[in-house]
Amino acid sequence: MLHALEKTLMPLAEKLGKNKILIAIRDGFLITTPLIIVASLFLLFNNFPIPHWVEFWNGILGSQWQSWFANVSRSVFNLVGFLSCFGTAYAYGRQLDTDAIQAAGVAIVAFIILTPTDLVLKGGTSIVGLDTEYLGTNGIFLGLVVALVAVQLYAFAAKRGWTIKMPDGVPPAVADSFAALIPSGLVMIVFFFVRIFVGMTSFGTVHNFIFEILQTPLKGAGNTLFAQVIYGLACTLFWSFGINGPAVANSVFGPITKVLTMENLDAFQAGKTLPNIFTDPFSNFFTNFGGGGSTLSLIIVMILFCKSQRIKQLGKLSLIPGIFGINEPIIFGLPIVLNPIILIPFNLVPLMNLLISTAVTKLGIIPYTNGVALPWTTPVGFSGYLSTGSWVAAVYQILLLILGCLVYYPFIKILDNNYLKEEADATDKKDETDDISFDDISFDDL
Amino acid sequence: MKVIFILDQIQAGFGGKERGDLPLGGKKLAIGAVDMFTNFLPAVDATVLATLYCGDDTFMADPQTVTNKLVAMCHKLAPDVVICGPAFNYEKYGMLCATVATALEAHGLPAVAAMSQECEAAISEYRNQVTIVKMPKKGGIGLTDALQKILTLAAMKVKKEDTSAFAAANCY
Repeated sequence: MLHALEKTLMPLAEKLGKNKILIAIRDGFLITTPLIIVASLFLLFNNFPIPHWVEFWNGILGSQWQSWFANVSRSVFNLVGFLSCFGTAYAYGRQLDTDAIQAAGVAIVAFIILTPTDLVLKGGTSIVGLDTEYLGTNGIFLGLVVALVAVQLYAFAAKRGWTIKMPDGVPPAVADSFAALIPSGLVMIVFFFVRIFVGMTSFGTVHNFIFEILQTPLKGAGNTLFAQVIYGLACTLFWSFGINGPAVANSVFGPITKVLTMENLDAFQAGKTLPNIFTDPFSNFFTNFGGGGSTLSLIIVMILFCKSQRIKQLGKLSLIPGIFGINEPIIFGLPIVLNPIILIPFNLVPLMNLLISTAVTKLGIIPYTNGVALPWTTPVGFSGYLSTGSWVAAVYQILLLILGCLVYYPFIKILDNNYLKEEADATDKKDETDDISFDDISFDDL
Repeated sequence: MKVIFILDQIQAGFGGKERGDLPLGGKKLAIGAVDMFTNFLPAVDATVLATLYCGDDTFMADPQTVTNKLVAMCHKLAPDVVICGPAFNYEKYGMLCATVATALEAHGLPAVAAMSQECEAAISEYRNQVTIVKMPKKGGIGLTDALQKILTLAAMKVKKEDTSAFAAANCY
């Protein structure tokens, strides 16, 4: 069965893994993610889930302190669509082997060309400015679409050598700056017409158009338990064959989860009701503990209940990395990859966590996640508290971790008993230990 | 055929990158990542004679001594072939695999190394001296294929078949 599964999944992983557009979107988010994490910390400080927090700091820093912090979080969150456009355009430029930074530059110009720049103030006067409504979360998908189209056009023109030729003797730096002229001009002219054309339709702006026909339906499809089950299974199933599952699954789900997460962040920042369950923090901190497959539960069982030397020792060595979400030592050291016994709970536990966490959230026992982008290495307990502001969520995480141990237990015991038998056999058969000692070995033995 | 595997600390199940100082050791068993090969061993009629392991930093600190000791131990245990890998994209482990495999073959023991293209230094230094099977990096696509190719090449070497066509297609 494993073999059949692998035969179906491999080509899929290969297709997704080699698709330049998906790679560009994924790598583009890698550029924005650190910015979101740092800004999240500022937002978290502004809204720390402790009673009288704000009053406490008002007393020390004065009442304006929240605006200091808000300005940092706004500089990222309210521009996240714009930043996604930049990141994706740069990454796509790299993929297409063209001048990436120039391509990214013209892509953000194209994005702004599509954005309304006349703001009507309350009194009826109008000023030139940018409404962050267009540049933030609502602009993520538009940012991606613009980045891909603009860079494609740019690379098309650049590859055909549509440049202005400089006479001999012009320094290369000067000549290079003109190399981008016609490709950039092509992009800007195309978006100039796109804006005019869409302006004549009932959508009014390209922002509205993409938001309604792409972002809203895709977000709706991703914000369902069914989609999350597919996502979760993809993450672990691919790992079963040694393929980095989240890397494959995120290439499809990444933009959607990003939108869901950012919507919660926006609401959190504005002090409104949090709209979505299935955010990044939810899937990072309430479906998996200690890395993909929720292997922290496995490590705990290995340490507490396994008897074979190898498993016990590996468990102990893997505990500290596991607490911080790193499970490389057991993925290959146990191993989990291509291990038909451990693969069962490896796939089941995250699925179980997902179903229970969804139910528990829907029942209101734990709050919705605030969307704050904590580093994925944040340990269990802390992550639950910080991502929801609720101690109950932290305690719930621990309970879920223990439940995971129960599921892993029978499977790792099978492996443990096999290893114990092997270790005993090896000792019996050779009437010596199965350890090989290098103490007495030297090159002179050759 | 009787096979010895040579692993680093991660593949052998002795922890992560932070455990690179693991001293040389071994078990007369298939341990750690060798279990990934379990289902493919019967196809080439292979049994695991032993798994030797060494921390990647231990190797890098004194490559010559570690290589000598591993070669000497392999001679003592007398396998039909030694598999140095799979090293994925672990560069230090890749260097260990290429170095030791080259030394083993120089001393008359068939050996196969395997690593992903990220281990550039090892590949460029040793590709002409020993067969290094192409494999995906950690989390990359095509692991099971690569594992089977490693075993196929090992079996060909044991039977003293001509490996040049196979190596041209599957090695660096």
